[in-house]
Amino acid sequence: MGERVPQHVQNLVIRDYCERNGLHFLLSAAEYAMQNSDLILEQIMCELKDIDGIVAYSLFQLPEDSVKRNNIYNQFIAMRKKIYFAVEGLSAGTKQECERIEILWRVRKTLPDCIKSCL
Amino acid sequence: MYFTEDENNLTKEYLHQGYVVRPAADLDALEWLQSKFIDLIGETLDVELNGTPKDILNHIHEKVPVSELNEFRLKIIRGFNSIEGVREKYFQIARPYLETLVSNELAMQLRINLSIQFPSDESSLLPVHADTWSGDSPFEVVVWLPLVDCYSTKAMYILPPQKSAELSQGFIERAGTSSEELYQSMKNDIQWLEVKYGEVIVFDQALPHGNRVNDESETRWSMNCRFKGVFTPYGDKKIGEFFEPITLRAASKTGMAYKHPITS
Repeated sequence: MGERVPQHVQNLVIRDYCERNGLHFLLSAAEYAMQNSDLILEQIMCELKDIDGIVAYSLFQLPEDSVKRNNIYNQFIAMRKKIYFAVEGLSAGTKQECERIEILWRVRKTLPDCIKSCL
Repeated sequence: MYFTEDENNLTKEYLHQGYVVRPAADLDALEWLQSKFIDLIGETLDVELNGTPKDILNHIHEKVPVSELNEFRLKIIRGFNSIEGVREKYFQIARPYLETLVSNELAMQLRINLSIQFPSDESSLLPVHADTWSGDSPFEVVVWLPLVDCYSTKAMYILPPQKSAELSQGFIERAGTSSEELYQSMKNDIQWLEVKYGEVIVFDQALPHGNRVNDESETRWSMNCRFKGVFTPYGDKKIGEFFEPITLRAASKTGMAYKHPITS
């Protein structure tokens, strides 16, 4: 969503999240910087069967395309795995949890069309 | 505006004072929240607690040393926020006031804050500030919920809108070199918000507010949580990482999902 936090800071946040939530951190993966790239995410999705889940820095790192996002939600639900979002402290592995994440996405995408603050 | 008389009165009062104090709209929810705190205190201290909830909360400083207060507070607040349904209960306590003053499509803070202020404790002070001064959206309000009766220095204070506007005009001269100097320049104009258990405050976090050393003989327990309209501007506290929609309406859901028919 057009925001960038340095990778080492993202890693710190993810490691801290894993520690506080009793998740075993295996290794980190960084997405390609090209706009709308989700190649690395797709690669990890191929390996999902071998791990318990994914911890992303933010839920807004999911693909901007709603069809692609839905595909990802569906894979997590079908495989009974979980995706965690460290900054937001949220996670999704069920239909209900995925809908919660999707609502946040849709509001975020709608906000540029809403009133703006003059501050 | 097409408001009822009650809504008009609430609106006028909020705009004039910068806050409103009202009865908790859901007393069962309030008692449920208070009982959860009592359970958590018992578990954290690993002791049998005797007395009414109010007595236990008001005199907790007799059981926890100041040096252990922060760790105690963290355990309680983590435990509290992990209880299923806590945020919904909190919302119900202020719901009609929020729907009148803010919106019926609300975003709520993801984690509720807790303040425990022991008598004479100088380590838990909140210097005078407006949340907007550190990047909050001026479209946010705070729902401040006491778990015990709060009065005099056991309460919080706020600078009313008129005086706040005057402060903004002469801020550089009045702020001096510290937040304490700023407080001293406004202390004759502030208002202490007396509020009893069973009542709730909704206040404008863009107005200067804070607390002082609690000179009363009882501990203050209060919670606070921010709310705003889902589609109003966000400041540093963003959707997802801080706020989450809690009363999104059907037309907004369909509107956000709408796509024109594909014609090419």
